[in-house]
Amino acid sequence: MQRHLINSLFQSILVLIGVLVMVFFMVRATGDPAAVMLAREASPEQVAAFREQMGFNRPLYIQFLDFIRKALMGDFGNSLHYRLPALPLILERMPYTVYLALVALVMAVVIALPLGLVGGASPNTPIDWIARAVGLLGQTVPPFWLALLLIYALAVNLRLFPTSGSERWNSVILPAFVLSLGTMGRLVRLTRSSVLEIMGDDYIRTARSKGLMPRVIFFKHALRNAAIPLITVIAVQFGYMLGGTVIIESVFSWPGLGSLTAESIGRRDFPLVQGIALFTSVVVVLLTFASDVLYALVDPRVRYE
Amino acid sequence: MRPLQTFWRVASLITITAVVLAGCAPAATPTAEVVRETEIVTVRETQIVEQVVTATPEPFKPQGTLTIGLTTDIAAIEVPYAPERQATNASWTMFDSLVLQNPDGSLGPALADSWEISPDGKTITFKLHQGVKFHDGSDFTADDVVFSWEAYSQDTVTYAGNWTLASSVEKVDDYTVNVITDEPNAMLLPTMAWNWAIIPEDWGGKTQQEFAESPIGTGPFVFKEWIKGDRLVVTANPNYWRQGYPKVEQVVFRFMPEAATRVAAVQAGEIDIAPRLTSEDAKSLLGVSGVQIIRYPVDRSYYLAFNNLSTGKGTPIEDPKVRQALAYAIDIDGIIDAVFDGFATRSVGFVAPGNLGFDGAEPVPYDPERAKALLAEAGYPNGFEMNMACPDSGYPKINDVCQAISAQLNEVGVRGELELQEANAYWDREAKKELPPLFVDAWSVTIGEAWPRLSGALNEGETYANWYDAKLDEMINQIAVTVDEEERAALYGEIQVYMRENPPFVYLYYPEAFEAVTTRVQGYQPRAAENYFLWEVSVTD
Repeated sequence: MQRHLINSLFQSILVLIGVLVMVFFMVRATGDPAAVMLAREASPEQVAAFREQMGFNRPLYIQFLDFIRKALMGDFGNSLHYRLPALPLILERMPYTVYLALVALVMAVVIALPLGLVGGASPNTPIDWIARAVGLLGQTVPPFWLALLLIYALAVNLRLFPTSGSERWNSVILPAFVLSLGTMGRLVRLTRSSVLEIMGDDYIRTARSKGLMPRVIFFKHALRNAAIPLITVIAVQFGYMLGGTVIIESVFSWPGLGSLTAESIGRRDFPLVQGIALFTSVVVVLLTFASDVLYALVDPRVRYE
Repeated sequence: MRPLQTFWRVASLITITAVVLAGCAPAATPTAEVVRETEIVTVRETQIVEQVVTATPEPFKPQGTLTIGLTTDIAAIEVPYAPERQATNASWTMFDSLVLQNPDGSLGPALADSWEISPDGKTITFKLHQGVKFHDGSDFTADDVVFSWEAYSQDTVTYAGNWTLASSVEKVDDYTVNVITDEPNAMLLPTMAWNWAIIPEDWGGKTQQEFAESPIGTGPFVFKEWIKGDRLVVTANPNYWRQGYPKVEQVVFRFMPEAATRVAAVQAGEIDIAPRLTSEDAKSLLGVSGVQIIRYPVDRSYYLAFNNLSTGKGTPIEDPKVRQALAYAIDIDGIIDAVFDGFATRSVGFVAPGNLGFDGAEPVPYDPERAKALLAEAGYPNGFEMNMACPDSGYPKINDVCQAISAQLNEVGVRGELELQEANAYWDREAKKELPPLFVDAWSVTIGEAWPRLSGALNEGETYANWYDAKLDEMINQIAVTVDEEERAALYGEIQVYMRENPPFVYLYYPEAFEAVTTRVQGYQPRAAENYFLWEVSVTD
């Protein structure tokens, strides 16, 4: 088990280093920040002064080393737009995104697991058809399009939900539902296929032949084994939700990290974009690591490897 | 397995029913509502803002909530830190300036009842309005004006430049204050009107950081809450010094980056004002009950420039007749119709409608024969070769505009290539005066006066438009030091005549802004720089 954990820790660190390098250079590859951030009537002196002040005039590798040193201490620099330290700005938005992602995850799990389980346990029944349809649609319907459709149908025409924002208690439902769909689709398919596979396994046949009640077979034997890959997928999907809310948050004017990301990229707010990218990467890496640990705890085969 | 199956069957049946219901439901649009005629109201810069304070206060109670959807997140709610127009508008709900600019560009009183300009033009003495209170209950006096200037003229303030126009601000007595400049500066008063938000001495007892998060002013609305990336909420100031105002109880600014969401939200009645729509968005809202579309020309003048500083030197464009000819050669109305669906206004010059001293001139008509005649008169009966440049996608639909212009110039014999260049590189070359003899650009102003545009484009030292004309330069400098408003208006009149006879540009168009406003909103009148005052606005229910 230790080897397993050390391995995954090592991988996590590698991923983070890769992210640092990519974030730093990719943001800079998109153009000259001074040209974008200053009014275009700015004099060459003003531009030079600005570059000097922001440190953009130093060689790239020095900027990079400086960036790493500060990032390790939690200092991502000041947002150019808000003129405030990036980290507190990110932390301020984080709860909204976590809340949205949690609600979405709950929706996905609550709808996907039963569908997948029943669909997998009794293939080619109407419920299985629904499970397969949800699995397909969830992964193929474009979220942006669906979001607008739902806003017009449920918010503008029926006035069941607010179109956008975060003020009301039910504001979260539409964005969470749209966000949950991709995960829902994936979970349904995965659950269904693992149950289907497990139900055909030898140990299930053994359990049946020794006369165990179907309920016991299903819950004690099939479900436990099916749960193992689900843990990893749910953890990864949660990470994906935290980072993948950009479009959904923008469409629903949800004040989370996603809309902050979209805005900051548009404004070339370097320090903030870097901060967000790093922050979300750390979160995703941590989640993956946590799922590895959990995996080991749930599945003895990993533990005793 | 039976009980389990039954359970899931029932559960999924419920799910199916719910899905089916949800799928059917949208078709049933509410029809019980009263359908009002949708109208297009064109706001022009003609109405004078009321600033008369009635002697007998009538009892009033602010009513209702006004919600405005913003396209960009408010980054700061102190005016000197607010980075763009929408944040500035939101911030101004909480503050007042000493002077107020009227829609015709003239100035009126605000926190100052009156002001006097010294004979040398370097000192303006303001008499302050008495009995004004800040939101924390403290009195507004000269000390607050002095403090505001000291606080906001610091280097660390984003827009300190608007405050450092004055070299010092001195208290004479509690209700008299002198604002002093090193040289007479005509832009001081209009700049003050749009930038000098007065704050209480010592940040009203807060730290500077606290003040930035929950500011105090004398304005019509009091800060209530600010959730970054989501909303800013302000409530009516019960002790506002403009009696009878504000008229709404609460204003909510909501950040809604996605245009489709703003359109949906205004249809659902969740927001009352949806600014910055495209003409397509606006069209999709025509016929929606309870929503009206307003459109107004924006104070941004698009122009075809001539470069007489580098590449155009010694070429035909130095002859005023040739430049006039090019103005006749371009069918701007045709371009507005074809490219903008008619949603733009012809530009008549750098002094735009609503700017101080605008003389209401007529645009140059499209007359290609006249253009050819003028070219022949100037000695170019067969035209000439000349290239033109355009900032690739640097402005909405600018590429289409440039292609049309290029084709039309070709018809009168001005042949050349159209160079489309990446916008940032283009502006860089423009600053370095490297563009070809003909090029297209645009310039906006935000203080209701044309001087910043004239100066930036044409003044020696800046000549951003790559054009230098000594006489014009002199006239612009004269305006800059003419502090008296009427004299300055007269100078603007002269410069408009001169710029028609010796055109440094072909004037193209002012774009139009579209906003959707619910019919419950009264008195909302955005100006040409997308600025507005909310104390006059009311909502009915």
